[in-house]
Amino acid sequence: MELTPLPPVVGRGRRASVPASAGQRCDGICGEPEMPVPELLESLANETRLKRQPGGAGRCFHCGEPCADRSFARNDKLFCCQGCLLVHELLEENGLGQFYALSEHPGVRVRARGGQEAGHGAYLDDPAVQERLLDFTDGKTSRVTFTIPSIHCVACVWLLENLFRLNPAIGEARVNFPRREVAIRFEAQRLPLSGLVSLLVSLGYEPQLTLGELEKAPRDSLSRRRWLQVGLAGFAFGNTMLLSLPGYFGLDQFNGSWLKAVFGYLSLVLAAPVLVYSAGDYWRSALIAARQRRLTLEVPIVIGLVALYLQSAWQVLAGQGFGFLDSLTGLVFFLLCGRAFQDKSYQRLAFDRDYKCFFPLSVRRKTAAGMESIALSKLRVGDRLVVRHGELIPADARLVSGFAQIDYSFVTGESEPMLLSPGAYLYAGGQQVGGSVEIETVKAVSQSYLTSLWNHEAFQKEQGDTLNTMVNRYSRLFTVAVITIASCAALFWSCEGQWPRALKAFTSVLIVACPCALALAAPFALGTALRLLGRLNIFLKNGLVLERLARVKTLVFDKTGTLTSAHSAQTEFIGEPLLPEERRWVAEVAGHSTHPLALGISDLLVCHSRNVAAAPLPEKAKETEKRALRPRFVERAGLGLAGAVSGHEVRLGSKRWLEQSGVPMPGDGSSPAGPVCLALDGKFRGSFRITSALRPDLALTLAQLSQACEVFLVSGDNERERERFARLMPNAELRFNQAPLEKLEFIRELQLAGKHVMMVGDGLNDAGALKQSDVGVAVVENVGAFSPASDIIIDAARMSELGNLLRFSRQVTRVVHWSFAISTVYNLAGLSIAAAGLLSPLICAVLMPLSSVSVVLFASGMTGWVARRTGLGLRHIPGRAALGENTQTTSQDPRGPVVPLHPQPAI
Amino acid sequence: MSPAAAPEPNLLTQEQTRSAAANIETFSYDNRVVRAFAIATVVWGLVGMSAGLLAALELIFPGVNLNLQFITFGRLRPVHTNAVIFAFVGNGMFMGIYYSLQRLCKARLFSDALSWFHFWGWNAIIVAAAITLPLGFTSSKEYAELEWPIDIAIAVVWVVFTVNLLGTILKRRERHMYVAIWFYIATALTVAMLHIVNSLEIPVTLWKSYSVYAGVQDALVQWWYGHNAVAFFLTTPYLGLMYYFLPKAANRPVFSYRLSIIHFWALIFIYIWAGPHHLLYTALPDWAQSLGMVFSVMLVAPSWGGMLNGLLTLRGAWDKVREEPMLKFMVVAVTAYGMATLEGPTLAIKSVNALSHYTDWTIAHVHTGALGWNGFLTFSMLYWLFPRLYRTNLWSPKLANYHFWIALVGMMFYVVPMYVSGVTQGLMWKQFTPDGFLQYPNFLEVVQAILPMHRLRAIGGTLYISGAVLMAFNLYKTARAGKFLPEEEAQAPRLRGAAPAEQPHPWGHRWLEAKPLTFTALAVLAVVIGGLVEIVPMWLVKENVPTIASVKPYTPLELLGRDIYIREGCVGCHSQMIRPFRSETERYGEYSKAGEFVYDHPFLWGSKRTGPDLHRVGGKYPDAWHYRHLFDPRDTSPGSIMPRYPWLFTQILETNSLPARLKALRKVGVPYPLSYEDGPAEKELQAQAAQVVLNLKTGQVNASPDREIVAVIAYLQRLGKDIKATSQPATPVATATAGVTTAAATAGAPTPK
Amino acid sequence: MSVILILMIASLTLALVFLTCFIWAVRSGQFEDDYTPSLRVLTEEQGTPEERLEPSSSPGTRPEDLSPQANRT
Repeated sequence: MELTPLPPVVGRGRRASVPASAGQRCDGICGEPEMPVPELLESLANETRLKRQPGGAGRCFHCGEPCADRSFARNDKLFCCQGCLLVHELLEENGLGQFYALSEHPGVRVRARGGQEAGHGAYLDDPAVQERLLDFTDGKTSRVTFTIPSIHCVACVWLLENLFRLNPAIGEARVNFPRREVAIRFEAQRLPLSGLVSLLVSLGYEPQLTLGELEKAPRDSLSRRRWLQVGLAGFAFGNTMLLSLPGYFGLDQFNGSWLKAVFGYLSLVLAAPVLVYSAGDYWRSALIAARQRRLTLEVPIVIGLVALYLQSAWQVLAGQGFGFLDSLTGLVFFLLCGRAFQDKSYQRLAFDRDYKCFFPLSVRRKTAAGMESIALSKLRVGDRLVVRHGELIPADARLVSGFAQIDYSFVTGESEPMLLSPGAYLYAGGQQVGGSVEIETVKAVSQSYLTSLWNHEAFQKEQGDTLNTMVNRYSRLFTVAVITIASCAALFWSCEGQWPRALKAFTSVLIVACPCALALAAPFALGTALRLLGRLNIFLKNGLVLERLARVKTLVFDKTGTLTSAHSAQTEFIGEPLLPEERRWVAEVAGHSTHPLALGISDLLVCHSRNVAAAPLPEKAKETEKRALRPRFVERAGLGLAGAVSGHEVRLGSKRWLEQSGVPMPGDGSSPAGPVCLALDGKFRGSFRITSALRPDLALTLAQLSQACEVFLVSGDNERERERFARLMPNAELRFNQAPLEKLEFIRELQLAGKHVMMVGDGLNDAGALKQSDVGVAVVENVGAFSPASDIIIDAARMSELGNLLRFSRQVTRVVHWSFAISTVYNLAGLSIAAAGLLSPLICAVLMPLSSVSVVLFASGMTGWVARRTGLGLRHIPGRAALGENTQTTSQDPRGPVVPLHPQPAI
Repeated sequence: MSPAAAPEPNLLTQEQTRSAAANIETFSYDNRVVRAFAIATVVWGLVGMSAGLLAALELIFPGVNLNLQFITFGRLRPVHTNAVIFAFVGNGMFMGIYYSLQRLCKARLFSDALSWFHFWGWNAIIVAAAITLPLGFTSSKEYAELEWPIDIAIAVVWVVFTVNLLGTILKRRERHMYVAIWFYIATALTVAMLHIVNSLEIPVTLWKSYSVYAGVQDALVQWWYGHNAVAFFLTTPYLGLMYYFLPKAANRPVFSYRLSIIHFWALIFIYIWAGPHHLLYTALPDWAQSLGMVFSVMLVAPSWGGMLNGLLTLRGAWDKVREEPMLKFMVVAVTAYGMATLEGPTLAIKSVNALSHYTDWTIAHVHTGALGWNGFLTFSMLYWLFPRLYRTNLWSPKLANYHFWIALVGMMFYVVPMYVSGVTQGLMWKQFTPDGFLQYPNFLEVVQAILPMHRLRAIGGTLYISGAVLMAFNLYKTARAGKFLPEEEAQAPRLRGAAPAEQPHPWGHRWLEAKPLTFTALAVLAVVIGGLVEIVPMWLVKENVPTIASVKPYTPLELLGRDIYIREGCVGCHSQMIRPFRSETERYGEYSKAGEFVYDHPFLWGSKRTGPDLHRVGGKYPDAWHYRHLFDPRDTSPGSIMPRYPWLFTQILETNSLPARLKALRKVGVPYPLSYEDGPAEKELQAQAAQVVLNLKTGQVNASPDREIVAVIAYLQRLGKDIKATSQPATPVATATAGVTTAAATAGAPTPK
Repeated sequence: MSVILILMIASLTLALVFLTCFIWAVRSGQFEDDYTPSLRVLTEEQGTPEERLEPSSSPGTRPEDLSPQANRT
């Protein structure tokens, strides 16, 4: 591979982990998606965003990364790298300097990505791809919407919306911050899509171009309808109340007889659209339920509404008053508000991603002519592909040339990268690290070992138990009861011979029993719960998940990336201790490799040497460092690397690599403790051992959980760490070397045994299990990054909350049941009045809001209290106001406590 | 790897640059009109406040007006209210709207011509008001005192503003309409409607008209307007401005944008109905009162939603607040808004209102809003705008800080004493002795009791004004220091509807030109007004059939007297509405019935009792007493703070317009007999005048029957009598004969030309 | 109290106008994104006076320099 001096490696998280998060500037930044403000406030409040030590010379004026030296300074502004400098100059020259006035270090570090040679995005100009990718085009102007994870502050919004200053072929650009999306209109003839993308990339705003982007579902029609429904209901509510109140205040005493009629008819008109349109969804689901001979809560609601309207219409037409129209509109209005409250959507998260969102949109095919970049959808069996560092193996393939070093951690759970030589079989989804290799596909993308998982029927059937909710179970009894009471009342009065009263009793029972409060209880309890959890970076797909969660008794964990963090290995050095400057040499050399192990080592040594050599270095050492920045450097994929720093030769790599270069290995033929051996000036010094690190304070949680419920570990990794986890998870069954499909089957067996299973996993290999389980929990390193389809997305840093989460869910369901009880009391009170045929509009107008409001207050209030009691509340971020979800205090780091990826090594 | 390679493919060729115009539009924001409105705001602010201060002083030292009729309290009060509301706040509002609108829409104002017409038109109206009101040309409807020609002018200018606003919105280059714009739209549309409906009046002369509504109906319309004027002139536009200027000043996004959207729609759907609470316990139908009450109370929710949204926007920025004077102003403004919007509904609760109505509490309430909310927000906008308009920094932030503290203290000195005085009044009026008599039967005792408060209030006002003066100076210096930027260049891509769903407006707006649109709007306006003036009276006439048989129309003399009563703005201090409380019936007599006002165009219920209620004053005192009292109140009632009205004794009663007046009133349903105005009316007038003179003689007062005072006395003596004295010779025919006889006696009395 | 009817008509007409506004606004996607607009407001101006005072960055050499600053210089 070419030897180009890389920017000095500082700190962690710099590794290209999964594509989705690759664009992000720094793992620390991107907060809870519904609440983008923290980053914003931070940048606005001119706080330093990065949670790292500044580098030697200061921060990059553009991106705020620490700069090692002043090599990229322009008139007293420091830059960390060529990329940042270029972007800065580009912006300044085009009068976009305001970018830097809007927030401090607003830029996004531009990474050295292979993507930027000519012809890279060629596939983007392929009509087939465009036709799927573009929102619309008329040949002249086109409009495209990109997801850009690195959008993080007000300045980003401004810059992206002012792109037209950089290239007049670009028209209106609109950023949707909560979704991290930008919609750009551009003139296709003057600027090809590929050109647009590379412009964005060059600015550091790399669009997410995965296979999934091709099938973006058109959103919003739903949300629009709901806004309309609520708005209309609210409008009608306000005005019908206005028109009805005079009745309650005795309009009749004043010469209002005809006014009364007018008011009545007006209210009738106003209420009609509410009944038909605003309550439309209730009609729909009620009809469905009826067709399926089921009694959902919508049935009594709709009956109640109809009864209300008819009764009122009759009264108005008979000139007897206004009827219950204000109650009717108010009822619908409240119901819709409740629904809106429950539909808490996290716009930046997707709970239904499949491998398509993980796989790239394009691959580089090798043809007779040379390289060409084609859309993955066009990939055929037998194609020759070139896969470079950090890229994915798109389909099962055979290694043709080069030493493959495949990181399967996200796919199979295998924690250590595999060294493979030509001829080896490569599984789709693996990530190549180190040099670039040439492969030949042997299977279609969708038929590959991993991706075929999605053909399993578990993915065909939608979880059907959405209908079997607490509410619906309850409403069955409820509806039956109401109908019987109503008819009994009617029967009674008709036996008395008072027909009109019988009718009145019948309708008023239906009216009073209209389970508004009942329908509001669950939404507000669950909605509140969702919000509280959201603040802890625990995101639930919807309220029903919480119900299912409450039933869970069985937990299944994946290992790699779930219990242990895939990308932070615990590196330790075994051998004779190194001197500070020796550490620096090794760090320098290792730091110039892209290999995860090398980076791990350099991180380890850098951070340690920083702690040690805090004191100013002697003049000489400084110079050595300077020179050290451009070392002679060699890397052999699959073997190791070597470099010379200030006259010392550093050799890192496999035993074989050292032996090749004639380094005498320790006399006793014993193999070194770790896979990576170190030689300084041709002398073997020891080896580095890498073990995957357990997530922070997870040990305790695991112990507790394995007592509370039945726990399993299902890992794709090998047996290596069995003892370790046996210790961690007493009385838990541990299974290793599990293929994705086996995981799925295992879950199903448990379910067949009548267990409610929660699967906790992260990788694509867990996708099946997550899907199959009753509650699938996906663990993500940083929010917004790719996660396989699941019901819950949890921030890795919050894994320790799992226990609380379970307890919380149970208590919330209890709260819901209590709310049901309360609303039932109200209904009974109302019923007793109604059955007597004494119900008046006024009573109804008072009872309805009273019951609804009190139940709502109880439900949300109790949930909050319960949360605090379970200890979830304790972690509740201070200073966050309940009103606006999308707000946060500056003080708070959206990822919660910063996780030290490496415990202090023992050197 | 070299990112350098990246931009290369997108480097542009000359030819691309040239055609770039196709896509990107370069335009400029009009700062001139903004500056014009800003200056007007400062100037009128000082004028209006000074008028207020003078009025306050007159309530302490009645002689302060030097017996000049043009600045008696009665005429000065409307000058103050109009100057502050429509001149100060009005100009401030247009300043803020025109500045923010252009930037929010990424577009220049729709038409410069309209902008300038708007500016000059609006300020001409204010000048006209400043002239006509002291001259006594008033319709006596609060906040709508201006006479009909000016009313029409207002309607026209307002339409121009609306067109300019909507036009700018239509040609905007920013797809999303920021919430502030919604508030602006609400203001434009609603105020237009309110103004038109409320000022439907029948012109009599160039500067005199009668409201088409009578009594209760007039009252209802007036306060439906009165309240919503407050709502949509003093509140919604300023909320819009808050949502624009507060985030910019704090450099933070608004706390919750979603909440702000909800805030707007909730407010819009409720506010319009809260009016009637101004008439609690009056002769307004009970249900209408309760309606007003309920909706006023409901208003708390959206109002406080808005306030919290404003304040929470500043959380985390309190350090900024400490150094930024304009943020300080903002904070106080928003807080004052919260206070006022909590207090308002409280006052709308019947039981509270029973105490607070007619007292200084109302004054305190409105000034919390005016001084705090509108005043402070305007100041903060000015402090923010001037440096930006003049491309420099504020000349002296220190001075601005002084202004802040002085204004704040001033406000406290104003509001707190008014609360005290208000409560004192309310309690003293209602105080009974153990044996069931009024504790303070003499109204003057109450007046005396609250005088100290009025003094403090004057001090507060002085402080507030001096603060404003500091600001004026500071802004002047800022302007001198900087260089005004008349045209601010900006660039934005044209907003071309991408997909049909995203069209900024159902129809394109290329066809839209300033003139046609404006003229269409104006034509429609004319038709609407004309039509209403024709139809509404017809409609209401049948309603005006007296429910109380004994209630009769005013005689010509009484009518003229009433119009003088209106001219002098007596209604500013004297209510004519006795509420059904024992304390009031004890003091003033039988409580007022809706049926008694059917011939009152306009109604004169009043909203404040600086002096006692006058609805039952008729026959309470001899004519001579009124004569002396109006000549020098202190003569008959020592300690009174009522001004002297010497000019009533010198000015000749103007009777030429009498026929016109009678005709006009007949048109709106007052049953004067046909052709009554040509002949009989004049005769009767003379007769009744002579009668009054006769009565005065018995009180050892020599007066000539052609003076205004005579008419005034006649009117006062008529007040509230009909209902009790069924055998009152109030009917024209009855007095006719008497008239003839006395006509001889007063022959040779110069008939005014 | 037929005047009530007048007020009623006036107010309801207005209310309906606003309702149509609301419907248009929702259907044209005005409220799709209920967060970003609040950011946009902060940036729609060309910086604060201080920045405006200091001369804008070196006049661009590239043809696409269409920015106001460039035009003014």
